[in-house]
Amino acid sequence: MRNLLHDMNPSIKFITVTIAMLGLAFFFNPWTPLLFFFSIIVLQLCCSRMDWKIWSLFMLPFAFGAFGYLWTTIVFAAETGGTVIWSAFGFDVTDEQWALALSLSFRVLAFSSLSLLFALTTDPVRFVMSLMQQLKLSPKLAYGVLVGYQFLPVLKDEFFQIQQAHRLRGAAVEKYWWQRLLGVRRIIIPMLAGAVRKAERAAFAMEARGFTGEPRKEYYQPVSLKLKDFGLASAILTLVIASSIAGAMLSA
Amino acid sequence: MLNSWKLKEIVLMSLFGVVFGIIYLLFIHLGNIWAGLIGPIAYEWMFGIWFIVSIICMHIIRKPGAAFLPETLAAIIEVMLGNAVGPRLILSGVIQGLGAEAAFAVTRYRHFNIFVFMLAGIGAAVFSFIYGYFVSGYAALDPSFVALMFTLRVLSGAIIAGIGGKYIGDALLATGSLRGYAIAKPAARDANA
Repeated sequence: MRNLLHDMNPSIKFITVTIAMLGLAFFFNPWTPLLFFFSIIVLQLCCSRMDWKIWSLFMLPFAFGAFGYLWTTIVFAAETGGTVIWSAFGFDVTDEQWALALSLSFRVLAFSSLSLLFALTTDPVRFVMSLMQQLKLSPKLAYGVLVGYQFLPVLKDEFFQIQQAHRLRGAAVEKYWWQRLLGVRRIIIPMLAGAVRKAERAAFAMEARGFTGEPRKEYYQPVSLKLKDFGLASAILTLVIASSIAGAMLSA
Repeated sequence: MLNSWKLKEIVLMSLFGVVFGIIYLLFIHLGNIWAGLIGPIAYEWMFGIWFIVSIICMHIIRKPGAAFLPETLAAIIEVMLGNAVGPRLILSGVIQGLGAEAAFAVTRYRHFNIFVFMLAGIGAAVFSFIYGYFVSGYAALDPSFVALMFTLRVLSGAIIAGIGGKYIGDALLATGSLRGYAIAKPAARDANA
């Protein structure tokens, strides 16, 4: 039971999460996204081995973002109908505005919870394998992505190497974060040049070992597609529908 | 579409996707903290950063799809790295890539000069704004505020992605590592680009 979300077919999970998100975008009442946010948390409590510490860490910046939406929508709202419920700093906030603002910021939270559901329960390599096997992503692209993914630690080492080389030659040490951000410019060109050479070598090596990029019928590690994947997908979509109906009723 | 592509071009795109995927994620997190202070408009002026891989790859490879595919691959890699924006990044990557690709398709993949690159940045900005308008519910905001956001995004697309992308591509060409790619073969018809 607690492995359900982890074992779900990644492509089906991806499609479900995307549909759920697009569905939620149609609702402008505060209850629908809020209810959905909590129902996703409940779903994760019973169907996954979520590490809640990591979950909160990822959620934190989005909580900030949601707050930004809240006050932007209040200050720059399109409609000014409804009755004024409170005024501050020279702004009159009407109940309609307040509901809309809450709705958009809860939407940010709902989207983030949905995304974390995907991100924290999906194995990246299995996701790409599944894209290739179920959604017919071209093997050339799929293995290309996997090569890039495997190069990640190498690129990280290279980043530090270039940085150290710059320091060795007496390039100014960046004290502040914004200086470091501008300094990225000096690092990115050698990084990309290195990436070009690595790409060339990797592609030669793949072709030398007989990689043609032709679609296959059989795979070394098949990603299964079972009935329970569809079951879980419809459960998530039911949550979307249920929270939109409940949301519409609560705000009516 | 992929038959005319060499494997090394695809792997190149994917490695660029990794490098820029990390940069994109970095800026999403920066943007989020920033957005807590000044709202969603925080992202607008730096939106061009997210379109840049399309323009760099098209500048180097110059084949149909070289704007759309790297943006999509970068988005897939961003999802593989794990982040809280999640799978919808792939959708926005596809849409931004299509926007940039549209500009090159309109010019029939014949001209690769700064104006076309800026146009591609604008294309990506317009496409992504239409999508963002729907998903983020900009309809709820004051039209003049939305217009300001749109203008900032288009400018950012043209300047950061268009000019910045060309600058990075040219700088890479100067390193001499791009000898096997279309960028290094001066086409007679586009020599003045």
